[in-house]
Amino acid sequence: MNIARLKSSFARVAMHGDEVPLHFYSDLFLKHPETRDMFPVSMQAQRSHLVAALVTIVSNVEDLDALTTFARDLGRDHRKFGALAEHYDAVGASLLATFAHFCGQAWDSELEADWKAAYELIASVMIAAAREDEKHNPAYWTGTVVARERRAFDVSVLTVRPEPRLDYLPGQSAAIESPARPRLWRYYSMANAPRADSTVEFHVRLIDGGAVSMALTAHTPDGAELRMGPPVGALRLDLASSREILMVAGSTGLAPLKAMVEQLTSLPRPPAVQLFFGARAADGLYDLPSLEKLAADHPWLTVVPVVSAGRSAGQAGTLTDAVLSTANWSGHDAYLAGPTEMVQDTAARLAAAGMPPTQIHVEDFGWSEP
Amino acid sequence: MTTDAWYDEQHRLTPDQLDTVSFPLTRWARHGYEEEPVRAFLAQVQAEMVRLINERSSLWQEVQRLRRRILGTSNGNDAVLFGKDDAHIHAVRILSSAQRTADRYVADAQAYSGRLTEEARVRRDEIMVQAQQHADMLLTEARDRARAAAVAAMDNESLPPQTDQERRAVHAELAYLRTFSEVYRQHLKIYTEDVLRTIEDWESKERAAARDIPLPRDTGVRGPNTPGIR
Repeated sequence: MNIARLKSSFARVAMHGDEVPLHFYSDLFLKHPETRDMFPVSMQAQRSHLVAALVTIVSNVEDLDALTTFARDLGRDHRKFGALAEHYDAVGASLLATFAHFCGQAWDSELEADWKAAYELIASVMIAAAREDEKHNPAYWTGTVVARERRAFDVSVLTVRPEPRLDYLPGQSAAIESPARPRLWRYYSMANAPRADSTVEFHVRLIDGGAVSMALTAHTPDGAELRMGPPVGALRLDLASSREILMVAGSTGLAPLKAMVEQLTSLPRPPAVQLFFGARAADGLYDLPSLEKLAADHPWLTVVPVVSAGRSAGQAGTLTDAVLSTANWSGHDAYLAGPTEMVQDTAARLAAAGMPPTQIHVEDFGWSEP
Repeated sequence: MTTDAWYDEQHRLTPDQLDTVSFPLTRWARHGYEEEPVRAFLAQVQAEMVRLINERSSLWQEVQRLRRRILGTSNGNDAVLFGKDDAHIHAVRILSSAQRTADRYVADAQAYSGRLTEEARVRRDEIMVQAQQHADMLLTEARDRARAAAVAAMDNESLPPQTDQERRAVHAELAYLRTFSEVYRQHLKIYTEDVLRTIEDWESKERAAARDIPLPRDTGVRGPNTPGIR
């Protein structure tokens, strides 16, 4: 396999931008119409996913470990979409046809052999990982909605019972697909520590124009069956640390942090936790009563509500300002979740105030970010 | 040539534009341009390059097709306008174009739904602020009246009513104040209920509207055995 040639031909193909994935999917759907049903109506996001995956593969082509890890995760992740071993041949053929099309004159039998070998390597790792995963986990979990509660104008709490039981670590998320919007998956964090009755809560904020959040809040009656992917995400409690804890939750970013607080309640001697919970207006503090009850039951937990606009009982100003002006946190472990801008801003300012980056934990879906 | 069918011909970059382009100077320093216009321009240049590369590739394929056709003719074979491969590429292009249209419809629908919910959110905030202000106003007014009544009562206490006539007047005043406060309480209650009803109405309308929005129809780009959107 000539790696330099693979890379240079990929660069040539990539010059054609969105035309490349567009051509690939059209070729695939023409040759194998049955695969069309595995994708959503709009393919815009899907095309970026494909290009991102190809770029990751090609740029890691010399780092076999990284490549294998990536391909394994990708293979496992594709089980929930219904990808089967036979689909890999179809995808490979259309990928080669697409590269041939855009390489034009430069495409010859050697280049074709190189690409074929590269694809077969990736596909075999993906298929093997999927087969291995089959032994332990279903392709997807069926989550029956057992309760829905509208907590604020734009926030609902869904209680779901996954079948079979979903094992996860507090802080992790799962991709969810609503039957009202098939083939559209979005990540939501489990908002509770695992329970005896195996139910999980999801905090769903209605996003303006958001197809899935709208479906989950408005078109998902009790008894509806959601599909759920395997738990993902690297946010979790550092149980080896003995430091006190700062948690900063913006809006429904509260979900993973609340799950972690619940996890702490089961420890014999939990560290002191200060949980800042912020929203734009007071009614956005949709889970405050439940948090205040937790704080009343557990003296090590302090909850600080922060409202950035309008009148309220809590602190005023941005969440980041409120956190930074309260104390110097550099001796704490920080866990941040919520709107990307708030999380990045808070992380940067905590670091600037002397907190080592290893003590700052944020939500990270890695490659599987929707 | 079909590749450029979905391009917007009006916004193409011309060599003249590159010759005459100017950027606003940044406000903060003496040197340098505003970042946004430069970025926007670079995006335009990039889009133009992608178009040119794609056009060149299509042209090259067209040349190859014609070349094959000529060679085919000179070899004495039957020349065909579209070989098997050409027909497939043609089909790919048609399907790609249909997919782009479908993507645009979905994006438009999402943008529209986004605008609707955003407007609803703004309207709801306005209603809440108005209701709050009105309630504040009613309360302040009621408090002022109560204070005035208390002051009046204290004044009267220091000088107890002497005659029957004065006593009757005080009773009448008290009855008036009681009725007045009752009326105000009713007023406030009706008003609050009205606001709550408006919000409920509006919520149920919102729910009904959300139910009535048809799901995106099958766009024709799916497979033949596709059940469509549930």
